[in-house]
Amino acid sequence: MDDLRFTPSPGRTLGVELELQLVQSHDYDLARDAADLLGRLAKVKLPGHVKPEITESMIELNSAVHSQYAPLAAELEAMRDAVVREAGMLNLHVCGGGTHPFHSWSARRIFPTERFRHILERYGYLAKQFTVFGQHIHVGCASGDDAVYLVHMMTRYVPHFIALSAASPFYQGEDTSFQSSRLTAINAFPLAGHMPFVESWAEFIAYYEKMHALGAVESMKDLYWDIRPKPEYGTIEIRVCDTPLTVARAAQLAAYAQALAQWFLDERPRPAKRTVYLVNAFNRFEAARFGLRGQLIDPFEEKKRPLAEDILDTLAGIMPQAAALGGAEALAALAADVRRGYSDAGWLRERFAANGSLAHTVRESAARWADDKPRASG
Amino acid sequence: MAFGFLPQLPPAFGQPALFGALLLAGLLGGELARRLLGLPRITGYVLAGVLLGPQVSGLLGPGALGEARVLIDLSLGLIVFELGHRLDVQWLRRNRWLFVAALAESAFCFGAVLAALLAFGFEPLLAASAAAIGTATSPAVVLLVAHELRASGQVTERMLLFTAVNCALAYVALTLLLPFLHLEHAMRWGEALLHPLYILGGSALVGFLASLALLWLAGWVGKREDRQFILLVALVVLAVGAARSLNLSVVVTVILLGTLARNFDYEHVLLPLRFGYGGQLFFVILFVLAGASVQFTALPGVAAAVAAFIVARFLGKGVAILAFGRLSGVRAGGAGLLSIALLPMSGLAVVMVLDTQAMYPAFGGELAAVVLSAVAVLQILGPIATQFALKRAGEADPAAGSA
Repeated sequence: MDDLRFTPSPGRTLGVELELQLVQSHDYDLARDAADLLGRLAKVKLPGHVKPEITESMIELNSAVHSQYAPLAAELEAMRDAVVREAGMLNLHVCGGGTHPFHSWSARRIFPTERFRHILERYGYLAKQFTVFGQHIHVGCASGDDAVYLVHMMTRYVPHFIALSAASPFYQGEDTSFQSSRLTAINAFPLAGHMPFVESWAEFIAYYEKMHALGAVESMKDLYWDIRPKPEYGTIEIRVCDTPLTVARAAQLAAYAQALAQWFLDERPRPAKRTVYLVNAFNRFEAARFGLRGQLIDPFEEKKRPLAEDILDTLAGIMPQAAALGGAEALAALAADVRRGYSDAGWLRERFAANGSLAHTVRESAARWADDKPRASG
Repeated sequence: MAFGFLPQLPPAFGQPALFGALLLAGLLGGELARRLLGLPRITGYVLAGVLLGPQVSGLLGPGALGEARVLIDLSLGLIVFELGHRLDVQWLRRNRWLFVAALAESAFCFGAVLAALLAFGFEPLLAASAAAIGTATSPAVVLLVAHELRASGQVTERMLLFTAVNCALAYVALTLLLPFLHLEHAMRWGEALLHPLYILGGSALVGFLASLALLWLAGWVGKREDRQFILLVALVVLAVGAARSLNLSVVVTVILLGTLARNFDYEHVLLPLRFGYGGQLFFVILFVLAGASVQFTALPGVAAAVAAFIVARFLGKGVAILAFGRLSGVRAGGAGLLSIALLPMSGLAVVMVLDTQAMYPAFGGELAAVVLSAVAVLQILGPIATQFALKRAGEADPAAGSA
């Protein structure tokens, strides 16, 4: 069983994991060259880490631990440039987005490591359908109790992160009508969902030990929750984001999570509330399906309001925390995009409407990942 | 005479019956080879052709082979187009060592085969022509094996790239040798020099114009897979026909058409290429016919030279890939597999031998026998080698079965 001692994090640290797609340059379908690319990257000096992921079409970028937005953004850019350069030597492209728009899941192969083989054996076709690409954001906490409180408070904002990162409108060659179809693929796992309403780290340990004793959970990794505590890192991990189409957006989302965490843990504005989990499924669906145009039920005020409005009010409200942490610029960029209704999912749909081909949509998405210029409206 | 509605006996079966019979024979041969012997289907297509050909049953006589030349050209045209389409100039620009490796692969192979043939006492000019022919890997075999295994990965990509490069260079080398062959043939200097220029320049021009037409029409048709497929077949067939009528090189024309269409597609009008089941028909026809034109009879007489030809060819390719492969980013172990994957020779080499013989009859007899016997051997072994290499490289899709 895992060691559940909570390693305290100094200050409001943050880190980012990005799962990326590797695509072939002749047809823009997913490639299977992760091992070759990782072999090359192993010889390059990189600030963070690059790791294999579950299928051979995927790699994962892990940033180092940062306390500020700007160095994190710079590091992600440096990692992106190195990965794009090495992939180019193998005639591969790299891109963001929560799903590959048209790959066929039956063609995927699982990366040959012990853990991933085990996942394939256990989950069957779900494991291959799990060829989806997410961003995970880690925010540091001083204690397990802080982490538990933070998970409960952050859950109200899960729809924000879903809508702001949504970049998976296409799946298996179809327009799903969702802004984030990736979340649906994750829902199928038995331990997907959210943390139970425990009120302290001691209660969390009791819950976990019970689940372990019952044989429902073997390790913390089996818990595919939207937000889960990560005791060995001393963080909570937000796992609902699609990998955005650019590293800039990935860094902005991390800055948003950091400022929110700072607000909750510094000011403890309100106690955790069970109602959050009553409305969670509704809110989460609205955000995945409609993105910024969805509705949100505020579990504290107990009323429904437009999600975009809720995001803009929140961004404005935590601007002081963001400014203190050096992330004001990131939150301003997010707010500007919300005001003009921009989302990565919308951009992908717009490109598909313009070029008429999902393969060419992937091509444009890869070009944007490699060289992110200020974008047109979406 | 009564019953005038009946055909004369024996009935003369035309092209459609020939086409159908070749497909059926290929299908049966391919399945039997795979089920009974565990060999790649392609080997079965070839064996079916050998059985039908003049060497064994004679059902496909020289006349039928002549009639089928147009089928060979069309099939080869579509295959070579796809290969040219895989030649990504951007990749070579990003990865200069890959470019060096591709050139070295052709150059070392040419040099090694030339040295082997000289050692056997062949005349230098003729040996050089044979070495040029030996430089090319069979585009049809590597593409078909890659398709059937649904292979993807670095060894597969490089195999296709190197094949495109070595086919193009083999033709260029063979064409550049023409003036010398002509001079030996007591032709005038002017004519001797103009001929290769005409072939290379003309082929380049036809390929270029066809690629412009393809891109322009594809832009107009829009991104519809079905229509772009028809357009593509139409233009490839047109280019093949034009190249033949103008006495140009079909292979150079069509490789260029594919490469230029890929690399000049600045507006991104072309959809990714997918020949699907339609393309399979052409592959089957090509291999059955290649099998029918196989000549084993001369093999015993020239066995030593054939063995030297095959071994030198493999070593030339292998040494170049081992020398430059790692620099271009081939993983450890990948270089050897890539060299094995590039072994196949087939119909393309036969066509080159026939073309060279037509222009220069002295390239016949023993040397043609050496090349054609090597083709015969590699036509059987080549697909097995390529399949082995791609599977061992871990790039075959396990669900796809055998080729």
